[in-house]
Amino acid sequence: MARTKKSDQGIIAIFRYLDVVCDAIERVRERPDFEGHEVFTPTSYHEIEHACGFGSSPVRFFTIIGALTGTVGGFSLCLLMDWDWPLVVGGKTAGLPSLPAYVVIGFECTILLGAIATILGMLVLGRIPNPKRRVLDPRTTDDRFGIFVPNVGLDSPQAALLKECGADELKVT
Amino acid sequence: MSDEVKWETTISDVNDGILVNLEKPSPAYWVALAAAFSLVVLGIVFWARQVTIGMGVTYLNSPVYWGVYITDFVFWVGIGHAGTLISAILFLFRAKWRNTINRSAEAMTIFAVISAGLFPLIHVGRLWLAPYWMAPLPNTNNLWVNFRSPLIWDIFAISTYLTVSLLFWYMGLVPDLASIRDRTRGIKRLVYGFMSFGWRGTAKQWWHYEAGYGFLAALATPLVLSVHSVVSWDFAMSLQPGWHTTIFPPYFVAGAILSGCAMVYNLVVPIRWMFKLEKFILAEHLESCIKLTLLTSTIVFYAYGIEFFVAWYSGNPYEWALFEKRATGPYAFYFWVMTFCNCLFPLLFWSKRVRNSIPISWVICVLVNVGMWFERYNIIVSSLVEDFLPSSWGHYEPSPTDIFITWGSFGWFFFWFLIFCKFFPIVSLSEIKLIMPKPWSPKKLKGAAKHGAH
Repeated sequence: MARTKKSDQGIIAIFRYLDVVCDAIERVRERPDFEGHEVFTPTSYHEIEHACGFGSSPVRFFTIIGALTGTVGGFSLCLLMDWDWPLVVGGKTAGLPSLPAYVVIGFECTILLGAIATILGMLVLGRIPNPKRRVLDPRTTDDRFGIFVPNVGLDSPQAALLKECGADELKVT
Repeated sequence: MSDEVKWETTISDVNDGILVNLEKPSPAYWVALAAAFSLVVLGIVFWARQVTIGMGVTYLNSPVYWGVYITDFVFWVGIGHAGTLISAILFLFRAKWRNTINRSAEAMTIFAVISAGLFPLIHVGRLWLAPYWMAPLPNTNNLWVNFRSPLIWDIFAISTYLTVSLLFWYMGLVPDLASIRDRTRGIKRLVYGFMSFGWRGTAKQWWHYEAGYGFLAALATPLVLSVHSVVSWDFAMSLQPGWHTTIFPPYFVAGAILSGCAMVYNLVVPIRWMFKLEKFILAEHLESCIKLTLLTSTIVFYAYGIEFFVAWYSGNPYEWALFEKRATGPYAFYFWVMTFCNCLFPLLFWSKRVRNSIPISWVICVLVNVGMWFERYNIIVSSLVEDFLPSSWGHYEPSPTDIFITWGSFGWFFFWFLIFCKFFPIVSLSEIKLIMPKPWSPKKLKGAAKHGAH
């Protein structure tokens, strides 16, 4: 059966040092036999991000769409209620919107929806929550780095390469 | 500054050092929790009395309908501001020292804004009707709310602020909750795993997380500056002498950050001691917080001066009469407490010795918070007692109900904060690792040393 879904079966190489794991990532990341590999890091070191060759995260599209929806929504809220039933103050013409006052509502809704969309973007793009995936090694949320390669065993050439790159430990997940 | 901090610990000590201590706090923690809880009970008793007997117990009456409760509201919203400043603005400025205290500051924001949110509800008396009046719902005459009213702006600003602060704070917690999950077993593991959304810490997740965190910081930055500006418009948009000034937004924001920084210091110092975090929150980081307090204190000092100058220079006799009375009239006590606590005592922070003495700095920070409470009281009450109609002038003093409910709100704030400290990492695990020396291999370190020698 061809495995199209991501699997937790495979090997994980544990690294202790940041520069060693970065060199390893650079060596394996383009190789076809490492297809579907995952890198684990306890915190967001930029060195890892560079080694993985990531560019700008698409989270930014979520943010801008959310924020603009908020701007339009906030102003619409005020304007539609104003047109539905104008509150005429000081004899001012009904139907002329007092836009400066509505800037506050528009601004707050921009921030609110922008922030909510950003969080959604982070969750959707990071594929969390996903109850089907499990933690491969508890040390990767503490102080160790890990490279996971799916669907291979400890005697595979991939394992040998990771060992050569300076992995401290290799284990089957 | 903080770049030269000498760490005695490495990233491998972080999870063990911080999380183990959370599991067994010092006895002082339980004493503090009990004290906070008894204050909450005290507040609830007096609030129940107010609901039973009526708003008369608060001495609120014409012309002063905004007394201690609105003072408390503005005070607590203000406290919240330093949390967002530290977590968002200092993040954008890449101020590394923030990584040690940002979690406590964010938690402080959440609980301070929740405390603030209680006060409009307490103040309306029949709070079960409040959602109906405040939400944008059509009323019995099918009219909508008035979006030109600063009070409606305030509802939007505060609720946005609370939501965004919560999201920002929780987002920062997710990887740390995963760290706790990976060290616990059984039901605890299940609960923390659920709360961490099954965070796995892959490079891809971190990549999106970092981008999202940056955008949230960028969104929260204008938000924090706007929220207290909107709060200040509750006053400044009226025609009341003493309130109707354009300096209010920046002045309120600076004051908010001053009281917030002082409160961060007041909270972090005991927490650091109770949970033995001295190896992680270093003296240098505490000193940076004090420097921020000093900076904002001088801005507030300047704002007080300008406010007086403008009152005089405007040539508006009502405005000037009010300011003169603030300093010499029946509310002079509040005025001078405010001036000494917010402007003069913090000047001691110019001395490095004072900044580095934790007990002295702590006491000054308490005084700053007292002063900031008095500032809001001074602005609200001394302006309201004397408006344009001398026939309706009056006097207002806080009632016991007001005072005990205020103490109750302090209890409420500290109670939730202490609960948070026990169950969640009070120092951001993933962020403090970023400012510690990176785990380079001995080979690379040797190479760097060699390179440096040439």
